[in-house]
Amino acid sequence: MTQLAETYACVPTTERGRGILISGSPKSNTILYTNGRSVIILNLDNPLDVSVYAEHAYPATVARFSPNCEWIASADVSGAVRIWGTRNEFVLKKEFKVLSGRIDDLQWSPDGMRIVACGEGKGKSFVRAFMWDSGTNVGEFDGHSRRVLSCAFKPTRPFRIVTCGEDFLVNFYEGPPFKFKLSHRDHSNFANCVRFSPDGSKFITVSSDKKGIIYDGKSAEKIGELSSEDGHKGSIYAVSWSPDGKKVLTVSADKSAKIWDISEDGNGKVKKTLTSPGSGGVEDMLVGCLWQNDHLVTVSLAGTISLFSAADLDKAPILLSGHMKNVTSLAILKNDPKVIVSSSYDGLMVKWIPGVGYSGRLQRKDNSQIKCLAAIEEEIVTSGFDNKIWRVSVHGDQCGDADSVDIGTQPKDLSLALLSPEIALVSTDSGVVMLHGTKVVSTINLGFTVTASAIAPDGMEAIIGGQDGKLHIYSITGDTLKEEAVLEKHRGAVSVIRYSPDVSMFASGDLNREVVVWDHVSREVKLKNMLYHTARVNCLAWSPNSSMVATGSLDTCVIIYEVDKPASSRLTIKGAHLGGVYGLAFTDQYSVVSSGEDACVRVWRLTPQS
Amino acid sequence: MANAASGIAVHDDCKLRFLELKAKRTYRFIVFKIEEKQKQVIVEKVGEPNQGYEDFTASLPADECRYAVYDFDFVTEENCQKSRIFFVAWSPDTSRVRSKMIYASSKDRFKRELDGIQVELQATDPTEIGLDVIKSRAS
Repeated sequence: MTQLAETYACVPTTERGRGILISGSPKSNTILYTNGRSVIILNLDNPLDVSVYAEHAYPATVARFSPNCEWIASADVSGAVRIWGTRNEFVLKKEFKVLSGRIDDLQWSPDGMRIVACGEGKGKSFVRAFMWDSGTNVGEFDGHSRRVLSCAFKPTRPFRIVTCGEDFLVNFYEGPPFKFKLSHRDHSNFANCVRFSPDGSKFITVSSDKKGIIYDGKSAEKIGELSSEDGHKGSIYAVSWSPDGKKVLTVSADKSAKIWDISEDGNGKVKKTLTSPGSGGVEDMLVGCLWQNDHLVTVSLAGTISLFSAADLDKAPILLSGHMKNVTSLAILKNDPKVIVSSSYDGLMVKWIPGVGYSGRLQRKDNSQIKCLAAIEEEIVTSGFDNKIWRVSVHGDQCGDADSVDIGTQPKDLSLALLSPEIALVSTDSGVVMLHGTKVVSTINLGFTVTASAIAPDGMEAIIGGQDGKLHIYSITGDTLKEEAVLEKHRGAVSVIRYSPDVSMFASGDLNREVVVWDHVSREVKLKNMLYHTARVNCLAWSPNSSMVATGSLDTCVIIYEVDKPASSRLTIKGAHLGGVYGLAFTDQYSVVSSGEDACVRVWRLTPQS
Repeated sequence: MANAASGIAVHDDCKLRFLELKAKRTYRFIVFKIEEKQKQVIVEKVGEPNQGYEDFTASLPADECRYAVYDFDFVTEENCQKSRIFFVAWSPDTSRVRSKMIYASSKDRFKRELDGIQVELQATDPTEIGLDVIKSRAS
């Protein structure tokens, strides 16, 4: 039996130049955000308590809790809104096709009966409000000529809807049924976000022209604005009211978040400016914010979520981060406590500690993209899409200097001889390159298209897999390879080869979804018929005592076989990662860590079957 | 009697053994083979009633096609003992194309001879005749 032990969540997908909208539960401290096709529900008090809703067919953009916390409405780029329950396995209530383009914002009415959604309508309708259970329209929303970036429902009766968009307009609708009432053109750039105060007396709009304007909630007359003294120096992307309605939090491209006191006459003065620690680059631009009870949440362009405490504004924020893109490889740094390093193709490496969660990012001086990663004790070797192999030493949280070596062609696969980690084998399109430290020892053209490779822990033997499915075993003497044997069993290009920790066996997986375990000495097939995946095998890992093999595939499943038992008695983890499993490793005999296209890293606990 | 499509006849023994399995439960499974030279389907192997599913899967060769009949006993949710007669068309991916073609074209004619098959299963690799697959098809 397998059980999900921990999920290390991904962070919201962000886009430069646009804000993102995160929302929170009215009753508890959980926040909602989206990444790719998933909606993530994260508990701010315990960041390891995370659930993922992965039913959208298109990238999801925004999600909101209903006022009674029973339902979540989430929207995606195809214009569809899905309404599903928060409990009971996220059962779907209804799905509506609301707009013909991307939906940018979504809000429930305070009684939970109506939903307003706005976005890009391809010229026809940019905003639609409808009944939540039947989908019938409750108003006509004309008045906008370009993408509508945000909408808000007045939280108290009489109901009003405000929308703001790229045409610099802020439109006010009365209803239901909602009709256009008036429009303001006070902003001189995109109006990014509009929010009503919790008591409905005022609403504030913020814009890329660095201003924030406050209007009366019932009549929509302008009553004041956020003072420009000590104001933001960059576009303001999002705004959030405090629960008491007296303060607002704004975040901006100038990398700071500001808390403003809103006085009774409707003017705002800066109370405090919050900056998160960061290297100060573009990735620290803040794009999303939320005031959730006592927590102030800000999201940066890089996806880092900073949690400030509203009661104690001077306290340093708790930083949560993770991956935003497909996590392509995983490695275990064998120090105590166990540290898992995951890397995504954009070059981000994150450290995780089982039981604790996010433990820090590995900052490197050169942020090259990463395709393959291998890690030993205190050193990480990476290869990317340029022709270089980088060796970085890791001390605690910091990365030392990175040494790189140019190998002339693009590396396809990388492996380290575990017992003498200076020896590295890199496979390229037509051959292999052997590295000693950062020196190229030899470049050998093998004559066939190489698709995967592995080097034995003692550095004396290498197995190279080819496009035709044949495994070539070579013995390494100095800097030359001598072919010892060719093994034929695979019916597709070999995608991954791994030696078992005790070196008595090795396992190989191919693109035809088959995995084979071979005996190292006799080179005979030890376990076959491991054909239970339904798509290509992406990754493979051995358990520390060499008794189990875990395989991960594009079909989103992780299958764990025991080498001594027939292949049919296997443990399957279905749907481990939406989009495919790309990285696998065993942390101990009964825990498997997997990572995949959904940018999450998950730890699974295996209970041995009797 | 020859089959119009592929010219393969069915040996009388096949039908007899099948009736014995169905009526008297004398066998757990029967494996049939097409003998190309005699152009006939003949009984290759039978299994005793005390043999289990693993013995059945072990008697299917990994790289040759076969037909097989298996009598599967199981207990339903309401605690009833039931049995289903499975017809397995075993055509592994690793077998020769000619073999697969002959077995595929003769299958319908052969199945018609065996009156009383309840479930048909086509398997192209060992994962498709796993015990869990049989169990899910049984109910």
